[in-house]
Amino acid sequence: MSGGIFGVALRRIGVSLPLIFLVSVLVFVVLRLIPSDPIAMSVPPNATRDEIEALRKEMGLTLPIYEQFGIWFGKVISGEFGRSIAFAQPVARLIGQSLPATIELVLLAAIFATIIGLSGGLLMYRLSGGRGEAATDFASTLIMSIPEFLWAIFFILLFGVALNILPFTGRLDANITVDKITGFLLIDTLIQGRFGAFGNALAHMLLPAMALAFGTAPLLMRVLRSSLMEVGNEDYMTMARLRGFPERQILVRHAFKNAFLPTLNLMGVQFSFLFGGTLLVEVIYSYPGLGSLMVQAVANTDLPVIQGVSLVYAVAVLLINLGVDLVALILNPKLRIAK
Amino acid sequence: MSRRELTAGAVGAAAKERRKWNLRPWRRAIVGGVIIAIVALAAIFAPVLAPYDPNETDLLAQLQPPVWAGGSWEHPLGTDNLGRDTLSRLIYGSRVAMIVAVAAALGALVLGTALALVAGYFGGLIDWFVSRLVELWLCFPPVVLSLILIVGFGVGLRNVILAIILVDWTRFCRVVRSEVLIVRRHDYIDAARLAGFTHWRTIRREVLPAVAPLVLTILSLEMGIAVIVEAILSFVGMSVESTIPAWGVMIADARKEMYQAVWGLVLPILAIIITVLGFNLLGDGLRRALDPKLRQRAIH
Repeated sequence: MSGGIFGVALRRIGVSLPLIFLVSVLVFVVLRLIPSDPIAMSVPPNATRDEIEALRKEMGLTLPIYEQFGIWFGKVISGEFGRSIAFAQPVARLIGQSLPATIELVLLAAIFATIIGLSGGLLMYRLSGGRGEAATDFASTLIMSIPEFLWAIFFILLFGVALNILPFTGRLDANITVDKITGFLLIDTLIQGRFGAFGNALAHMLLPAMALAFGTAPLLMRVLRSSLMEVGNEDYMTMARLRGFPERQILVRHAFKNAFLPTLNLMGVQFSFLFGGTLLVEVIYSYPGLGSLMVQAVANTDLPVIQGVSLVYAVAVLLINLGVDLVALILNPKLRIAK
Repeated sequence: MSRRELTAGAVGAAAKERRKWNLRPWRRAIVGGVIIAIVALAAIFAPVLAPYDPNETDLLAQLQPPVWAGGSWEHPLGTDNLGRDTLSRLIYGSRVAMIVAVAAALGALVLGTALALVAGYFGGLIDWFVSRLVELWLCFPPVVLSLILIVGFGVGLRNVILAIILVDWTRFCRVVRSEVLIVRRHDYIDAARLAGFTHWRTIRREVLPAVAPLVLTILSLEMGIAVIVEAILSFVGMSVESTIPAWGVMIADARKEMYQAVWGLVLPILAIIITVLGFNLLGDGLRRALDPKLRQRAIH
């Protein structure tokens, strides 16, 4: 057990750092393929050829691409992502404003997805083998065919327009303002003791978080069911049944504990996809997070913002995977000894 | 249960079933296949089937509801905010969806499977390199990476297909590689080598057929994913040119008129869901029908 959990965490971070470097290289190179000239977007139409050349030199676009990358990456390391062309603001500030909103939303969605996925998986396992199996199979395939952004629109139509019981634009009602402390509305409102505003913020997050959870949960359900089925034939399960434990207790105490690990591994991948899924869901709910920022930047070809936000996404995905790996390590002692 | 017992039992069960020529395991795949065939026919015969030109505007008939919601048979599924016929746009929209689904999924299959075969078969440095490449790709949420690629390449059908290929090849590569690693250990691979087969011939004649059912299954699922990704990209205006009708564009247009014309929003959504459901049923059904391990479990 060399170093245990701490050692594994360090090793994972050691692997992640070169990956982040390569990610930034990849993004930089892809964005330089862009068919239009970045200079053309930032000069007035009546600029002369000499003025354009001067600006090109000033912006460093005459340098070879690896030198351009070196300059950009050096600044990124010191926390400077450059200035947005369309918003005329530092990229770091734009990201700082929108990241907490997205993290809040993703965490809530992950909680919902876990609840729906795990309870759904257990339910599907209980129903399997019986007459309900074909029906649940078809239902889960149908639900799996609906991506989160279509859930988002459905929920707006159902709960927002038809029933009119939940809000579906922005983070708060227009007449409520919350002083910014951490940027996380759910935390800020609680610190200030404003429970009405807290409820309002939560109500705004409910539909987008549910849409994200519904896009993520079905796969968790399926994987949990199939690993439960694999575990179901093990000897210790038969023993437990022979000892006369109630089926519900066997399911939760014996089967679930061992069947959970493959689902947990999948959760790492799924939750990083969920982070990307916020992109469209945020746009649909006019939710001012990282995804909305990215889509606006893409529409405006705002390269500094696209580069910065992409890097944040990559770091987030690596952190999620690290977190899931650590949880797996805590839950499964075998992994600890094997290393 | 050991692997060998499993395989032996499965071979027996498969032989028994072949004698009966049982359609039951194929039911799911058939339902999926029929759905896809209908969508494909709509795409191929769009000019014949569509009652109107999909871009023909009729400013006197804007936002008409479908027949069952009080509309007229002139526009059976209603019209959008420019008076364009929804049915015709849905039919023509299936063209983009199907072209992207087939081309992007096949491209991802070729790229991903080729890398997986080479990496899994030879192992060593090549395997290390391919695995790190996959890891690098998995750092991005797929939607984010496809958006970055489209910004780099520019919009248009060909670039959308290329972007999806370059994002989703990892799906094939990951799964097929681990399957190749298992197949590689079997004696018949060594036997082929001892019989004097070249590496290339061993891969083509022995390894590829062994992983083919798996590849086929992922192909079908990937086609569904490609339909969704294309819809996402066209929803944010980063897919095909604006003159080509696509389901994602229809959703984006109809969203502005959500309160007046709900069906304009619901119908393209249903079109996407039904198509993706078709591909998923097909893929899932193929997996069940072709994978002897699963079939055995179903028999138990």
